[in-house]
Amino acid sequence: MSALKIALTKGRTEQQVIPLLEASGVDCTAIRHKERRLIFNDLPDIHFILVKGPDVLTYLNRGAVDIGIVGSDILSEQNNQQYDMLDLGVGKCQFVLASTPEFDPNQIKRKIIATKYPNITQRYFQKIGEDVEIIKIEGSVELAPLVGLADAIVDIVETGTTLRENNLQVYARLQKVSTQLVVNQLALKQHQTAIATLIQRLSTAKQ
Amino acid sequence: MLNRNLPVGTRDEFGATAQIKERMINQIQRYFRERGYAKITTPLLEYKAVFSELDLKTYQPYQLLDEQGETLVLRPDLTLPVARVMSTTGIKTPVKWYYSGDVFRVKKKLSGSYNQIAQAGIELIGYKSLKAEWECLIAAVELAQALQITDLKVELGNAKFVPLVLAALPLNEIERRNLQTALYAKDLSRYTTLIKPLAASDFYPFLKVWPWLFGDFAAVWQQLQLLPKIKAVTTICEELKETQIFLQQRFPQQQLTLDLSVASPQTYYTGMIFRGYCQSAADYLFSGGRYDQLLSSFQKTLQPAVGLAFSIDDLVARTITGKPVETTLIYFETSDWRQAEALVRKIPNSSLCLADNLKEARRLAETAGSRLVDVTGKVVQA
Repeated sequence: MSALKIALTKGRTEQQVIPLLEASGVDCTAIRHKERRLIFNDLPDIHFILVKGPDVLTYLNRGAVDIGIVGSDILSEQNNQQYDMLDLGVGKCQFVLASTPEFDPNQIKRKIIATKYPNITQRYFQKIGEDVEIIKIEGSVELAPLVGLADAIVDIVETGTTLRENNLQVYARLQKVSTQLVVNQLALKQHQTAIATLIQRLSTAKQ
Repeated sequence: MLNRNLPVGTRDEFGATAQIKERMINQIQRYFRERGYAKITTPLLEYKAVFSELDLKTYQPYQLLDEQGETLVLRPDLTLPVARVMSTTGIKTPVKWYYSGDVFRVKKKLSGSYNQIAQAGIELIGYKSLKAEWECLIAAVELAQALQITDLKVELGNAKFVPLVLAALPLNEIERRNLQTALYAKDLSRYTTLIKPLAASDFYPFLKVWPWLFGDFAAVWQQLQLLPKIKAVTTICEELKETQIFLQQRFPQQQLTLDLSVASPQTYYTGMIFRGYCQSAADYLFSGGRYDQLLSSFQKTLQPAVGLAFSIDDLVARTITGKPVETTLIYFETSDWRQAEALVRKIPNSSLCLADNLKEARRLAETAGSRLVDVTGKVVQA
Protein backbone atom coordinates (compact mmCIF):
# COMPACT_ATOMS: atom_id res chain seq x y z
CA MET A 1 0.00 0.00 0.00
CA SER A 2 1.38 3.42 -0.97
CA ALA A 3 1.90 6.16 1.65
CA LEU A 4 -0.87 8.57 2.55
CA LYS A 5 -0.09 12.02 1.11
CA ILE A 6 -1.16 15.06 3.11
CA ALA A 7 -1.06 18.74 2.12
CA LEU A 8 -0.72 20.80 5.28
CA THR A 9 -1.29 24.56 5.26
CA LYS A 10 2.02 26.10 6.25
CA GLY A 11 2.35 28.74 8.92
CA ARG A 12 -0.06 29.10 11.81
CA THR A 13 -2.23 26.10 10.80
CA GLU A 14 0.88 23.91 10.62
CA GLN A 15 1.92 24.99 14.14
CA GLN A 16 -1.56 24.34 15.55
CA VAL A 17 -2.01 20.96 13.86
CA ILE A 18 1.42 19.42 14.57
CA PRO A 19 0.62 18.76 18.28
CA LEU A 20 -2.64 17.07 17.23
CA LEU A 21 -0.84 14.91 14.68
CA GLU A 22 1.81 13.97 17.24
CA ALA A 23 -0.86 13.08 19.79
CA SER A 24 -2.33 10.84 17.07
CA GLY A 25 0.94 8.96 16.74
CA VAL A 26 2.32 10.75 13.64
CA ASP A 27 6.02 11.53 13.95
CA CYS A 28 6.40 15.22 13.02
CA THR A 29 10.08 15.62 13.94
CA ALA A 30 11.07 16.32 10.33
CA ILE A 31 8.41 19.05 9.95
CA ARG A 32 9.37 20.59 13.28
CA HIS A 33 12.97 20.86 12.03
CA LYS A 34 12.07 21.60 8.45
CA GLU A 35 14.35 24.57 7.70
CA ARG A 36 13.48 25.28 4.03
CA ARG A 37 12.07 21.87 3.17
CA LEU A 38 8.51 21.67 1.84
CA ILE A 39 8.22 17.94 1.17
CA PHE A 40 8.56 15.22 3.79
CA ASN A 41 8.84 11.63 2.60
CA ASP A 42 10.78 10.31 5.60
CA LEU A 43 7.99 8.21 7.09
CA PRO A 44 7.01 5.01 5.28
CA ASP A 45 3.24 5.36 5.61
CA ILE A 46 2.57 9.10 5.65
CA HIS A 47 4.05 11.89 3.52
CA PHE A 48 3.54 15.64 3.91
CA ILE A 49 3.84 18.68 1.72
CA LEU A 50 3.62 22.21 3.09
CA VAL A 51 1.59 24.56 0.90
CA LYS A 52 -0.30 27.84 1.14
CA GLY A 53 -3.92 27.50 2.24
CA PRO A 54 -5.52 28.50 -1.09
CA ASP A 55 -3.42 25.83 -2.87
CA VAL A 56 -4.52 22.89 -0.69
CA LEU A 57 -7.66 22.18 -2.71
CA THR A 58 -5.77 22.49 -5.99
CA TYR A 59 -3.47 19.62 -4.95
CA LEU A 60 -6.37 17.66 -3.45
CA ASN A 61 -8.72 18.03 -6.42
CA ARG A 62 -6.05 16.84 -8.85
CA GLY A 63 -5.33 13.78 -6.72
CA ALA A 64 -1.74 14.94 -6.06
CA VAL A 65 -2.47 14.45 -2.34
CA ASP A 66 -5.04 12.32 -0.52
CA ILE A 67 -5.77 14.63 2.41
CA GLY A 68 -5.73 18.40 2.93
CA ILE A 69 -5.53 20.26 6.23
CA VAL A 70 -6.88 23.76 5.71
CA GLY A 71 -9.20 26.41 7.17
CA SER A 72 -12.95 26.26 6.54
CA ASP A 73 -12.69 29.86 5.25
CA ILE A 74 -10.79 28.59 2.21
CA LEU A 75 -13.05 25.54 1.76
CA SER A 76 -16.09 27.77 1.78
CA GLU A 77 -14.56 30.42 -0.50
CA GLN A 78 -13.43 27.79 -3.03
CA ASN A 79 -16.73 25.83 -2.93
CA ASN A 80 -15.04 22.63 -1.82
CA GLN A 81 -16.53 19.45 -3.34
CA GLN A 82 -14.27 16.96 -1.54
CA TYR A 83 -15.13 15.24 1.77
CA ASP A 84 -14.81 17.68 4.69
CA MET A 85 -14.51 14.90 7.25
CA LEU A 86 -13.27 16.33 10.51
CA ASP A 87 -13.27 19.66 12.31
CA LEU A 88 -9.88 19.67 14.02
CA GLY A 89 -11.09 22.26 16.53
CA VAL A 90 -8.07 24.54 16.09
CA GLY A 91 -7.61 27.83 14.21
CA LYS A 92 -10.99 28.99 15.47
CA CYS A 93 -12.10 32.42 14.31
CA GLN A 94 -15.08 34.09 12.67
CA PHE A 95 -16.02 36.10 9.63
CA VAL A 96 -17.32 39.57 10.46
CA LEU A 97 -18.62 42.62 8.69
CA ALA A 98 -16.60 45.53 10.08
CA SER A 99 -16.09 49.20 9.45
CA THR A 100 -15.41 52.58 11.00
CA PRO A 101 -17.79 53.90 13.71
CA GLU A 102 -19.37 56.22 11.10
CA PHE A 103 -20.59 53.32 8.94
CA ASP A 104 -24.37 52.97 8.84
CA PRO A 105 -25.38 49.43 7.80
CA ASN A 106 -28.95 50.63 7.18
CA GLN A 107 -28.01 53.43 4.83
CA ILE A 108 -29.77 53.00 1.51
CA LYS A 109 -27.02 52.74 -1.10
CA ARG A 110 -25.15 50.06 -2.96
CA LYS A 111 -22.37 49.54 -0.45
CA ILE A 112 -18.78 48.84 -1.42
CA ILE A 113 -17.31 45.92 0.50
CA ALA A 114 -13.60 45.06 0.46
CA THR A 115 -12.59 41.47 1.18
CA LYS A 116 -10.18 38.65 0.52
CA TYR A 117 -13.25 36.38 0.28
CA PRO A 118 -15.56 37.59 -2.54
CA ASN A 119 -17.65 34.39 -2.72
CA ILE A 120 -18.36 34.26 1.01
CA THR A 121 -19.17 37.98 0.96
CA GLN A 122 -21.48 37.62 -1.99
CA ARG A 123 -23.31 34.67 -0.42
CA TYR A 124 -23.79 36.61 2.85
CA PHE A 125 -25.26 39.70 1.20
CA GLN A 126 -27.40 37.55 -1.11
CA LYS A 127 -28.79 35.81 1.96
CA ILE A 128 -29.81 39.11 3.56
CA GLY A 129 -31.18 40.33 0.21
CA GLU A 130 -28.73 43.15 -0.39
CA ASP A 131 -26.74 43.86 -3.53
CA VAL A 132 -23.24 45.19 -2.87
CA GLU A 133 -20.15 45.98 -4.90
CA ILE A 134 -17.25 43.78 -3.89
CA ILE A 135 -13.59 44.78 -4.18
CA LYS A 136 -11.08 41.94 -3.90
CA ILE A 137 -8.13 42.81 -1.67
CA GLU A 138 -5.20 40.42 -1.11
CA GLY A 139 -4.10 41.54 2.37
CA SER A 140 -4.51 44.13 5.18
CA VAL A 141 -8.17 44.47 4.25
CA GLU A 142 -8.79 46.72 7.27
CA LEU A 143 -7.13 49.58 5.41
CA ALA A 144 -9.92 49.80 2.81
CA PRO A 145 -12.59 51.64 4.88
CA LEU A 146 -9.92 53.84 6.53
CA VAL A 147 -8.80 55.31 3.23
CA GLY A 148 -12.25 55.47 1.64
CA LEU A 149 -11.78 52.57 -0.80
CA ALA A 150 -14.75 50.70 0.67
CA ASP A 151 -17.67 51.30 3.03
CA ALA A 152 -16.93 48.16 5.02
CA ILE A 153 -14.97 44.91 4.99
CA VAL A 154 -15.71 41.22 5.37
CA ASP A 155 -12.76 39.52 7.03
CA ILE A 156 -11.73 36.88 9.54
CA VAL A 157 -11.32 37.91 13.15
CA GLU A 158 -9.65 35.84 15.84
CA THR A 159 -9.34 38.14 18.86
CA GLY A 160 -10.45 41.44 17.37
CA THR A 161 -7.16 43.20 18.22
CA THR A 162 -6.36 44.21 14.63
CA LEU A 163 -9.83 45.70 14.22
CA ARG A 164 -9.57 47.65 17.48
CA GLU A 165 -6.08 48.91 16.62
CA ASN A 166 -7.48 50.26 13.37
CA ASN A 167 -10.52 51.79 15.06
CA LEU A 168 -12.91 49.42 13.30
CA GLN A 169 -15.97 47.83 14.84
CA VAL A 170 -18.01 44.72 14.14
CA TYR A 171 -21.44 45.23 12.53
CA ALA A 172 -22.37 41.60 11.87
CA ARG A 173 -21.05 38.16 12.68
CA LEU A 174 -20.99 35.74 9.75
CA GLN A 175 -19.90 32.10 9.67
CA LYS A 176 -17.39 30.57 12.10
CA VAL A 177 -14.05 29.27 10.87
CA SER A 178 -11.81 26.41 12.01
CA THR A 179 -9.21 24.05 10.58
CA GLN A 180 -10.63 21.04 8.74
CA LEU A 181 -9.38 17.70 7.51
CA VAL A 182 -10.52 17.27 3.89
CA VAL A 183 -10.23 14.01 1.99
CA ASN A 184 -10.16 13.41 -1.76
CA GLN A 185 -13.27 11.35 -2.56
CA LEU A 186 -11.45 8.61 -4.42
CA ALA A 187 -8.50 8.55 -2.02
CA LEU A 188 -10.94 7.65 0.76
CA LYS A 189 -11.68 4.44 -1.14
CA GLN A 190 -8.04 3.80 -2.04
CA HIS A 191 -6.76 4.32 1.53
CA GLN A 192 -9.88 3.52 3.54
CA THR A 193 -8.23 1.86 6.56
CA ALA A 194 -5.36 4.34 6.88
CA ILE A 195 -7.67 7.36 6.62
CA ALA A 196 -10.26 5.91 9.02
CA THR A 197 -7.50 5.21 11.56
CA LEU A 198 -6.04 8.71 11.22
CA ILE A 199 -9.47 10.32 11.64
CA GLN A 200 -10.23 8.14 14.64
CA ARG A 201 -6.93 9.08 16.31
CA LEU A 202 -7.28 12.79 15.52
CA SER A 203 -10.84 12.78 16.90
CA THR A 204 -9.55 11.32 20.16
CA ALA A 205 -6.54 13.65 20.22
CA LYS A 206 -8.59 16.83 19.82
CA GLN A 207 -10.79 16.00 22.82
CA MET B 1 -3.96 40.26 -33.04
CA LEU B 2 -3.91 36.55 -33.75
CA ASN B 3 -3.80 34.79 -30.39
CA ARG B 4 -1.70 31.66 -30.78
CA ASN B 5 -2.14 30.46 -27.20
CA LEU B 6 -4.61 27.75 -26.23
CA PRO B 7 -7.75 28.77 -24.35
CA VAL B 8 -7.66 27.86 -20.64
CA GLY B 9 -8.68 24.26 -19.96
CA THR B 10 -7.75 22.88 -23.38
CA ARG B 11 -4.73 20.98 -24.66
CA ASP B 12 -3.19 19.56 -27.80
CA GLU B 13 -2.50 15.86 -27.96
CA PHE B 14 0.17 14.29 -30.12
CA GLY B 15 2.69 11.48 -30.16
CA ALA B 16 2.28 8.62 -27.71
CA THR B 17 -0.68 10.16 -25.85
CA ALA B 18 -2.70 10.69 -29.02
CA GLN B 19 -1.85 7.21 -30.29
CA ILE B 20 -2.71 5.43 -27.05
CA LYS B 21 -5.96 7.36 -26.85
CA GLU B 22 -6.93 6.46 -30.40
CA ARG B 23 -6.03 2.82 -29.83
CA MET B 24 -8.09 2.67 -26.65
CA ILE B 25 -11.17 4.26 -28.20
CA ASN B 26 -10.89 1.86 -31.16
CA GLN B 27 -10.48 -1.11 -28.84
CA ILE B 28 -13.54 -0.15 -26.78
CA GLN B 29 -15.65 0.55 -29.86
CA ARG B 30 -14.61 -2.70 -31.52
CA TYR B 31 -15.54 -4.63 -28.36
CA PHE B 32 -19.06 -3.21 -28.35
CA ARG B 33 -19.48 -3.57 -32.11
CA GLU B 34 -18.51 -7.23 -31.88
CA ARG B 35 -20.99 -7.62 -29.01
CA GLY B 36 -23.79 -6.51 -31.31
CA TYR B 37 -24.21 -2.89 -30.27
CA ALA B 38 -25.13 -0.17 -32.79
CA LYS B 39 -23.23 3.10 -33.06
CA ILE B 40 -24.85 6.41 -32.13
CA THR B 41 -23.29 9.81 -32.77
CA THR B 42 -24.84 13.03 -31.55
CA PRO B 43 -23.67 16.60 -32.29
CA LEU B 44 -21.29 18.59 -30.12
CA LEU B 45 -23.82 21.42 -30.02
CA GLU B 46 -27.21 20.97 -28.35
CA TYR B 47 -29.86 23.24 -26.90
CA LYS B 48 -29.23 23.91 -23.22
CA ALA B 49 -32.66 22.51 -22.33
CA VAL B 50 -31.48 19.00 -23.27
CA PHE B 51 -29.30 19.05 -20.13
CA SER B 52 -31.91 20.35 -17.67
CA GLU B 53 -31.54 17.10 -15.64
CA LEU B 54 -27.90 17.91 -14.88
CA ASP B 55 -26.66 20.04 -12.04
CA LEU B 56 -25.19 22.71 -14.30
CA LYS B 57 -23.08 24.09 -11.45
CA THR B 58 -21.07 20.86 -11.42
CA TYR B 59 -21.32 20.39 -15.18
CA GLN B 60 -20.94 24.02 -16.20
CA PRO B 61 -21.21 24.11 -20.01
CA TYR B 62 -19.71 26.41 -22.62
CA GLN B 63 -22.65 28.44 -23.91
CA LEU B 64 -23.45 30.40 -27.03
CA LEU B 65 -26.54 31.75 -28.76
CA ASP B 66 -28.01 30.62 -32.04
CA GLU B 67 -29.41 33.11 -34.57
CA GLN B 68 -32.81 33.09 -32.80
CA GLY B 69 -31.24 33.88 -29.45
CA GLU B 70 -31.71 30.32 -28.09
CA THR B 71 -28.96 29.11 -25.76
CA LEU B 72 -26.78 26.39 -27.21
CA VAL B 73 -24.18 24.46 -25.24
CA LEU B 74 -21.22 22.28 -26.09
CA ARG B 75 -22.55 18.99 -24.67
CA PRO B 76 -21.47 18.45 -21.03
CA ASP B 77 -22.84 14.88 -21.02
CA LEU B 78 -23.37 12.10 -23.57
CA THR B 79 -26.37 10.27 -22.09
CA LEU B 80 -28.86 13.14 -22.25
CA PRO B 81 -28.41 13.64 -26.02
CA VAL B 82 -29.26 9.93 -26.41
CA ALA B 83 -32.39 10.55 -24.33
CA ARG B 84 -33.23 13.39 -26.73
CA VAL B 85 -32.76 11.13 -29.75
CA MET B 86 -35.03 8.47 -28.25
CA SER B 87 -37.81 10.92 -27.40
CA THR B 88 -37.82 12.65 -30.78
CA THR B 89 -37.49 9.74 -33.20
CA GLY B 90 -39.42 6.55 -33.77
CA ILE B 91 -36.49 4.26 -32.90
CA LYS B 92 -37.86 0.97 -31.62
CA THR B 93 -36.74 -0.35 -28.24
CA PRO B 94 -35.00 -2.35 -26.93
CA VAL B 95 -31.82 -0.97 -28.42
CA LYS B 96 -28.15 -1.15 -27.48
CA TRP B 97 -26.03 1.87 -28.44
CA TYR B 98 -22.31 2.44 -28.22
CA TYR B 99 -20.70 5.85 -28.58
CA SER B 100 -17.49 7.75 -28.14
CA GLY B 101 -16.89 11.45 -28.07
CA ASP B 102 -15.85 14.48 -26.09
CA VAL B 103 -17.85 16.28 -23.43
CA PHE B 104 -17.12 19.85 -22.35
CA ARG B 105 -17.29 21.02 -18.76
CA VAL B 106 -15.92 24.35 -17.63
CA LYS B 107 -13.80 23.68 -14.54
CA LYS B 108 -12.08 26.06 -12.18
CA LYS B 109 -9.69 28.25 -14.14
CA LEU B 110 -5.95 27.62 -13.84
CA SER B 111 -6.45 24.57 -11.61
CA GLY B 112 -4.76 22.08 -13.92
CA SER B 113 -8.11 20.64 -15.00
CA TYR B 114 -9.12 20.10 -18.61
CA ASN B 115 -12.51 21.10 -19.91
CA GLN B 116 -12.65 18.69 -22.84
CA ILE B 117 -13.07 15.12 -21.65
CA ALA B 118 -13.12 12.02 -23.85
CA GLN B 119 -15.64 9.30 -23.07
CA ALA B 120 -16.69 6.03 -24.65
CA GLY B 121 -19.62 3.99 -23.50
CA ILE B 122 -22.94 2.27 -24.00
CA GLU B 123 -26.62 2.85 -23.38
CA LEU B 124 -28.97 -0.14 -23.12
CA ILE B 125 -32.52 1.11 -23.60
CA GLY B 126 -35.72 -0.83 -23.06
CA TYR B 127 -34.33 -3.50 -20.72
CA LYS B 128 -35.93 -3.77 -17.26
CA SER B 129 -34.07 -6.86 -16.17
CA LEU B 130 -31.01 -6.95 -13.94
CA LYS B 131 -29.35 -8.64 -16.91
CA ALA B 132 -28.82 -5.16 -18.40
CA GLU B 133 -26.73 -4.10 -15.39
CA TRP B 134 -24.80 -7.36 -15.57
CA GLU B 135 -24.15 -6.87 -19.27
CA CYS B 136 -22.59 -3.46 -18.47
CA LEU B 137 -20.51 -4.94 -15.65
CA ILE B 138 -19.23 -7.80 -17.82
CA ALA B 139 -18.25 -5.28 -20.50
CA ALA B 140 -16.55 -3.05 -17.92
CA VAL B 141 -14.50 -5.86 -16.38
CA GLU B 142 -13.59 -7.50 -19.71
CA LEU B 143 -12.51 -4.19 -21.21
CA ALA B 144 -10.48 -3.32 -18.11
CA GLN B 145 -8.74 -6.69 -18.46
CA ALA B 146 -8.14 -6.07 -22.16
CA LEU B 147 -6.69 -2.65 -21.30
CA GLN B 148 -4.38 -4.37 -18.80
CA ILE B 149 -5.79 -2.77 -15.67
CA THR B 150 -4.74 -5.40 -13.18
CA ASP B 151 -5.76 -3.75 -9.90
CA LEU B 152 -9.30 -2.74 -10.87
CA LYS B 153 -11.89 -2.49 -8.10
CA VAL B 154 -15.52 -2.57 -9.12
CA GLU B 155 -17.75 -0.61 -6.77
CA LEU B 156 -21.48 -1.31 -6.59
CA GLY B 157 -24.18 0.85 -5.04
CA ASN B 158 -27.76 1.95 -5.53
CA ALA B 159 -29.03 5.49 -6.08
CA LYS B 160 -32.16 4.75 -4.03
CA PHE B 161 -30.50 3.28 -0.95
CA VAL B 162 -29.77 6.53 0.92
CA PRO B 163 -33.13 8.22 0.15
CA LEU B 164 -35.08 5.09 1.19
CA VAL B 165 -33.24 4.69 4.49
CA LEU B 166 -33.60 8.42 5.23
CA ALA B 167 -37.34 8.21 4.50
CA ALA B 168 -37.69 5.45 7.11
CA LEU B 169 -36.08 7.55 9.87
CA PRO B 170 -38.29 9.36 12.40
CA LEU B 171 -37.21 12.83 11.15
CA ASN B 172 -38.93 15.82 9.60
CA GLU B 173 -38.09 16.96 6.07
CA ILE B 174 -35.49 19.57 7.10
CA GLU B 175 -33.73 17.20 9.51
CA ARG B 176 -33.68 14.53 6.80
CA ARG B 177 -32.17 16.92 4.25
CA ASN B 178 -29.53 18.09 6.73
CA LEU B 179 -28.58 14.50 7.54
CA GLN B 180 -28.35 13.64 3.86
CA THR B 181 -26.07 16.64 3.21
CA ALA B 182 -23.77 15.69 6.11
CA LEU B 183 -23.71 12.03 5.02
CA TYR B 184 -22.92 12.81 1.38
CA ALA B 185 -20.23 15.33 2.35
CA LYS B 186 -18.84 12.84 4.92
CA ASP B 187 -18.95 15.75 7.37
CA LEU B 188 -18.49 13.48 10.37
CA SER B 189 -18.55 16.25 12.98
CA ARG B 190 -21.96 17.50 11.81
CA TYR B 191 -23.30 14.02 11.06
CA THR B 192 -22.54 12.82 14.61
CA THR B 193 -24.41 15.81 16.06
CA LEU B 194 -27.40 15.24 13.78
CA ILE B 195 -27.87 11.55 14.69
CA LYS B 196 -27.65 12.14 18.45
CA PRO B 197 -31.43 12.73 18.84
CA LEU B 198 -31.95 9.25 17.31
CA ALA B 199 -29.88 7.49 19.99
CA ALA B 200 -32.92 5.55 21.23
CA SER B 201 -34.00 4.49 17.74
CA ASP B 202 -33.53 0.97 16.33
CA PHE B 203 -31.62 2.65 13.52
CA TYR B 204 -28.93 4.12 15.76
CA PRO B 205 -26.36 1.26 15.56
CA PHE B 206 -26.65 1.45 11.75
CA LEU B 207 -26.54 5.26 11.69
CA LYS B 208 -23.29 5.24 13.66
CA VAL B 209 -21.50 3.26 10.95
CA TRP B 210 -23.36 4.62 7.90
CA PRO B 211 -20.74 7.17 6.72
CA TRP B 212 -18.22 4.30 6.66
CA LEU B 213 -20.50 1.88 4.82
CA PHE B 214 -18.19 1.39 1.86
CA GLY B 215 -15.30 -0.91 1.01
CA ASP B 216 -14.91 -4.67 0.65
CA PHE B 217 -18.29 -6.16 -0.32
CA ALA B 218 -18.38 -8.86 2.34
CA ALA B 219 -17.38 -6.46 5.13
CA VAL B 220 -20.01 -3.87 4.15
CA TRP B 221 -22.61 -6.61 3.79
CA GLN B 222 -21.94 -7.68 7.34
CA GLN B 223 -22.39 -4.14 8.68
CA LEU B 224 -25.58 -3.81 6.66
CA GLN B 225 -27.17 -6.38 8.96
CA LEU B 226 -27.40 -3.55 11.55
CA LEU B 227 -30.08 -1.89 9.43
CA PRO B 228 -33.65 -2.65 10.56
CA LYS B 229 -35.77 -4.23 7.81
CA ILE B 230 -37.16 -1.81 5.21
CA LYS B 231 -39.03 -3.65 2.46
CA ALA B 232 -37.86 -1.52 -0.49
CA VAL B 233 -34.29 -1.56 0.78
CA THR B 234 -34.35 -5.35 1.09
CA THR B 235 -35.14 -5.62 -2.64
CA ILE B 236 -32.19 -3.35 -3.48
CA CYS B 237 -29.86 -5.34 -1.26
CA GLU B 238 -30.98 -8.64 -2.78
CA GLU B 239 -30.14 -7.28 -6.24
CA LEU B 240 -26.72 -6.18 -5.05
CA LYS B 241 -26.07 -9.58 -3.49
CA GLU B 242 -27.20 -11.41 -6.65
CA THR B 243 -24.89 -9.17 -8.65
CA GLN B 244 -21.98 -9.92 -6.35
CA ILE B 245 -22.58 -13.68 -6.69
CA PHE B 246 -22.89 -13.39 -10.47
CA LEU B 247 -19.67 -11.38 -10.82
CA GLN B 248 -17.71 -13.63 -8.47
CA GLN B 249 -18.72 -16.66 -10.53
CA ARG B 250 -17.87 -14.98 -13.82
CA PHE B 251 -14.69 -13.21 -12.61
CA PRO B 252 -13.43 -15.04 -9.50
CA GLN B 253 -10.33 -12.83 -9.21
CA GLN B 254 -12.19 -9.51 -9.53
CA GLN B 255 -12.16 -7.29 -6.41
CA LEU B 256 -15.65 -6.07 -5.55
CA THR B 257 -16.57 -3.23 -3.24
CA LEU B 258 -19.88 -1.84 -2.09
CA ASP B 259 -20.71 1.77 -1.25
CA LEU B 260 -24.03 2.46 0.45
CA SER B 261 -23.25 5.92 1.78
CA VAL B 262 -22.53 7.84 -1.38
CA ALA B 263 -24.52 10.33 -3.44
CA SER B 264 -25.44 9.07 -6.88
CA PRO B 265 -22.82 10.21 -9.42
CA GLN B 266 -25.65 11.43 -11.67
CA THR B 267 -28.90 12.92 -10.48
CA TYR B 268 -30.82 10.92 -13.09
CA TYR B 269 -29.81 7.46 -11.79
CA THR B 270 -32.72 5.55 -10.27
CA GLY B 271 -31.28 2.13 -9.47
CA MET B 272 -28.01 0.25 -9.33
CA ILE B 273 -24.86 2.32 -9.83
CA PHE B 274 -21.39 1.01 -10.53
CA ARG B 275 -17.95 2.52 -10.86
CA GLY B 276 -14.42 1.27 -11.35
CA TYR B 277 -11.15 2.58 -9.99
CA CYS B 278 -7.64 1.42 -9.30
CA GLN B 279 -4.99 2.36 -6.79
CA SER B 280 -2.92 4.48 -9.16
CA ALA B 281 -5.69 6.48 -10.87
CA ALA B 282 -6.66 10.01 -9.80
CA ASP B 283 -10.29 9.47 -10.81
CA TYR B 284 -12.83 6.76 -11.57
CA LEU B 285 -12.04 4.87 -14.77
CA PHE B 286 -15.66 4.07 -15.55
CA SER B 287 -19.07 4.72 -14.11
CA GLY B 288 -22.62 3.81 -14.94
CA GLY B 289 -26.02 2.93 -13.65
CA ARG B 290 -29.72 2.49 -14.22
CA TYR B 291 -31.89 5.47 -15.14
CA ASP B 292 -35.53 4.53 -15.63
CA GLN B 293 -37.09 8.00 -15.41
CA LEU B 294 -35.07 9.85 -18.00
CA LEU B 295 -35.83 8.30 -21.35
CA SER B 296 -39.19 8.47 -22.94
CA SER B 297 -39.90 6.98 -26.31
CA PHE B 298 -41.39 8.88 -29.22
CA GLN B 299 -44.78 7.82 -27.80
CA LYS B 300 -43.83 9.48 -24.50
CA THR B 301 -43.69 6.24 -22.53
CA LEU B 302 -40.82 5.98 -20.07
CA GLN B 303 -38.11 3.54 -21.06
CA PRO B 304 -35.95 1.59 -18.63
CA ALA B 305 -32.27 2.13 -19.37
CA VAL B 306 -28.77 1.39 -18.13
CA GLY B 307 -25.57 3.14 -19.22
CA LEU B 308 -21.84 2.80 -18.77
CA ALA B 309 -19.10 5.26 -19.73
CA PHE B 310 -15.32 4.94 -19.69
CA SER B 311 -13.23 7.98 -18.88
CA ILE B 312 -10.74 7.73 -21.72
CA ASP B 313 -8.39 10.45 -20.47
CA ASP B 314 -7.99 8.76 -17.08
CA LEU B 315 -7.34 5.43 -18.78
CA VAL B 316 -4.71 7.05 -21.00
CA ALA B 317 -3.05 8.88 -18.09
CA ARG B 318 -2.75 5.54 -16.30
CA THR B 319 -1.14 3.90 -19.33
CA ILE B 320 1.45 6.59 -20.12
CA THR B 321 4.53 5.50 -18.22
CA GLY B 322 6.86 8.31 -19.22
CA LYS B 323 9.29 5.72 -20.63
CA PRO B 324 10.30 6.74 -24.15
CA VAL B 325 9.16 4.36 -26.87
CA GLU B 326 11.92 3.02 -29.14
CA THR B 327 11.20 4.12 -32.71
CA THR B 328 12.72 2.94 -35.96
CA LEU B 329 13.23 4.74 -39.27
CA ILE B 330 13.55 2.63 -42.42
CA TYR B 331 15.87 4.00 -45.09
CA PHE B 332 15.20 2.76 -48.61
CA GLU B 333 15.76 3.47 -52.29
CA THR B 334 12.65 4.41 -54.30
CA SER B 335 12.79 1.04 -56.11
CA ASP B 336 12.46 -0.77 -52.71
CA TRP B 337 9.34 1.13 -51.61
CA ARG B 338 7.08 -1.95 -51.33
CA GLN B 339 9.72 -3.88 -49.41
CA ALA B 340 10.14 -0.94 -47.01
CA GLU B 341 6.38 -0.76 -46.50
CA ALA B 342 6.31 -4.45 -45.63
CA LEU B 343 9.01 -3.82 -43.03
CA VAL B 344 6.99 -0.94 -41.48
CA ARG B 345 4.15 -3.39 -40.89
CA LYS B 346 6.57 -5.84 -39.27
CA ILE B 347 8.55 -3.55 -36.93
CA PRO B 348 6.50 -1.91 -34.14
CA ASN B 349 6.76 1.90 -33.92
CA SER B 350 8.56 2.17 -37.24
CA SER B 351 8.02 4.47 -40.21
CA LEU B 352 9.51 5.19 -43.61
CA CYS B 353 12.46 7.58 -43.67
CA LEU B 354 11.78 9.88 -46.61
CA ALA B 355 15.35 11.19 -46.89
CA ASP B 356 17.00 11.34 -50.32
CA ASN B 357 20.35 9.96 -49.21
CA LEU B 358 21.89 7.97 -46.39
CA LYS B 359 23.66 10.97 -44.91
CA GLU B 360 20.39 12.85 -44.55
CA ALA B 361 18.70 9.70 -43.21
CA ARG B 362 21.36 9.38 -40.50
CA ARG B 363 20.85 13.02 -39.55
CA LEU B 364 17.04 12.60 -39.34
CA ALA B 365 17.36 9.43 -37.25
CA GLU B 366 19.75 11.13 -34.86
CA THR B 367 17.45 14.16 -34.49
CA ALA B 368 14.42 11.93 -33.83
CA GLY B 369 16.37 9.65 -31.47
CA SER B 370 15.37 6.70 -33.66
CA ARG B 371 17.14 3.57 -34.76
CA LEU B 372 17.91 3.55 -38.51
CA VAL B 373 17.55 0.32 -40.51
CA ASP B 374 17.75 -0.54 -44.21
CA VAL B 375 15.12 -2.48 -46.18
CA THR B 376 16.59 -5.77 -45.02
CA GLY B 377 16.01 -4.71 -41.43
CA LYS B 378 19.76 -4.39 -40.80
CA VAL B 379 20.76 -1.52 -38.49
CA VAL B 380 22.61 1.24 -40.33
CA GLN B 381 25.57 2.30 -38.23
CA ALA B 382 25.78 6.03 -37.45
